Amino acid sequence: MNRWLDRGITLLLLALLGWAGWSILHWLLVGADWSVVTTNLPLYAVGSFPADQRWRPLLWMAALITLTLLTLTGPKRGWVRRWLPLVWIAMAPLGLWLLAGGLGLLPVGTRSWGGLTLTLLLTGGSGALALPLGILLALGRRSELPVLRWSSAAYIELMRAVPLIAVLFFGQLLIPLFLPPGLEINRVLRAVVAFALFAAAYIAEDVRGGLQAIPPTQREAAAVLGLSPRQVLQLVVLPQALRVALPSLTNQAVGLLQNTSLMAILGLVELLGISRSLLANPAFIGRYLEVYLWLAAVYWLACSAMALLARHLEVQLDPARSAS
Amino acid sequence: MTVAIRATDLVKSYSQGVRALDGVTLEVNRGEVLVVMGPSGSGKSTLIRTFNGLESLDGGALDVLGVRLDATHAERQVREIRKRVGMVFQQFNLFPHLSILDNITLAPIKVQQRAKAAAEQRAMDLLDQMGIREQAHKYPAQLSGGQQQRVAIARALALDPEVMLFDEPTSALDPERVKEVLDAMRQLAKGGMTMVVVTHELGFAREVADRVMFMDRGQVVETSDPETFFSNAREERSRRFLNQMQH
Repeated sequence: MNRWLDRGITLLLLALLGWAGWSILHWLLVGADWSVVTTNLPLYAVGSFPADQRWRPLLWMAALITLTLLTLTGPKRGWVRRWLPLVWIAMAPLGLWLLAGGLGLLPVGTRSWGGLTLTLLLTGGSGALALPLGILLALGRRSELPVLRWSSAAYIELMRAVPLIAVLFFGQLLIPLFLPPGLEINRVLRAVVAFALFAAAYIAEDVRGGLQAIPPTQREAAAVLGLSPRQVLQLVVLPQALRVALPSLTNQAVGLLQNTSLMAILGLVELLGISRSLLANPAFIGRYLEVYLWLAAVYWLACSAMALLARHLEVQLDPARSAS
Repeated sequence: MTVAIRATDLVKSYSQGVRALDGVTLEVNRGEVLVVMGPSGSGKSTLIRTFNGLESLDGGALDVLGVRLDATHAERQVREIRKRVGMVFQQFNLFPHLSILDNITLAPIKVQQRAKAAAEQRAMDLLDQMGIREQAHKYPAQLSGGQQQRVAIARALALDPEVMLFDEPTSALDPERVKEVLDAMRQLAKGGMTMVVVTHELGFAREVADRVMFMDRGQVVETSDPETFFSNAREERSRRFLNQMQH
């Protein structure tokens, strides 16, 4: 008796799932109008960057993708492995130069920056600033100097108590008021700085957790070898602490990438911003579902790439890995 | 015979007024092996940790290789001593993120500014001497306890120290791994190294020590040559301790 009921329920659920799957597939392939995506691919990629200069952001993204693939395949040649970290660090200034121009390239104002390029630049730039700042804050919070300890703790607690969107508004609207007239920082830079200041507080706590995981005997062992306090930190404690903190730091990086979408509210046309302006175009009215599904896919792809890279880094840094 | 370490009336108190060191005076000559024994909590680890500034002093004074340490010494003196005194810990304390080779060459390259190739050459020689040359490119977690402790000895020796301190070097080892570490220490003693060894290994003390010092409750109870100490200890407390150790 019960067995028949079970079978009935199972069949019913399967039918429902099949029907839902079919409807979704049907909508994806037939019902949806993907022209809002396909005709605007350049806009999603580079925003309203001047058409004859589009090769610059595209080149940067191609370099990023190549570098990602190169890193993930784990090159065997020693010199490639040695140079990879430096090339990664060089990607942020390279991106800035390719987008902004100068030094032989036609200058392009930040107003024309946009799309996925801008999203990645905001993430990379603020991450690159936030990590060293976060490490300094974490060290400051554990310092023996009370002033340093208290001010670091106060900064971290304050930043964590304020919503990100408030920090971003602060960055966009208030920072210019404090600067002398004539000195103007552009909007993208203001966004990067505000993001970095915010993320640094969270990164500091992740790094602090890593520092706490390193037993004091490691400091002792390093100190009795005659290493200076700075060397103990730099050569023994920090490398281990950062490795411990890496999974949480990955989390922060993924969060940072998604949070760049908040900049759309402040008028930057990054990935979400450009999509909103496309939806405002009468030609694509009502195409919300298509656009947001497409956005979800792009964000998912970018975040997955970051997660894969971080996982790769974790394996590389694992001292117990058998292949060494 | 010149003196390597001279301690005068050392005092170290902990917060509850407990005295870990209560007026310890001793001398260690160059080329001598001094074994320090005593029940747990007797202050023997604290004592040798004051020799390289890991523990600060509340009273008394130390002269380590001509550098003075007392309750008010500066960080500079401590570093000066650490460059010339090696130390081996109970828990090995290797750096898990560095290969065996990098563990050993870290200080020679960063502190003594030796060339990388020369430092690695020296490290390989030391590993050879410790009988674990083939482990050079592994990581600490891949080695047994006995192997890790021998790496720790090599790491300390890489700085060509004038004195070696051993803080219960075999207490964390499996019994079958103890011998390989003691053998390495024996070899070192034969080579004329000045050594201060805190240990419970009676056999090692009897065979290798020039003198045995027995401590209890932060005080030196007696210092004798091993022959006298093990067969005919002067003090009742030493005899009771030896009795307990042998049963």
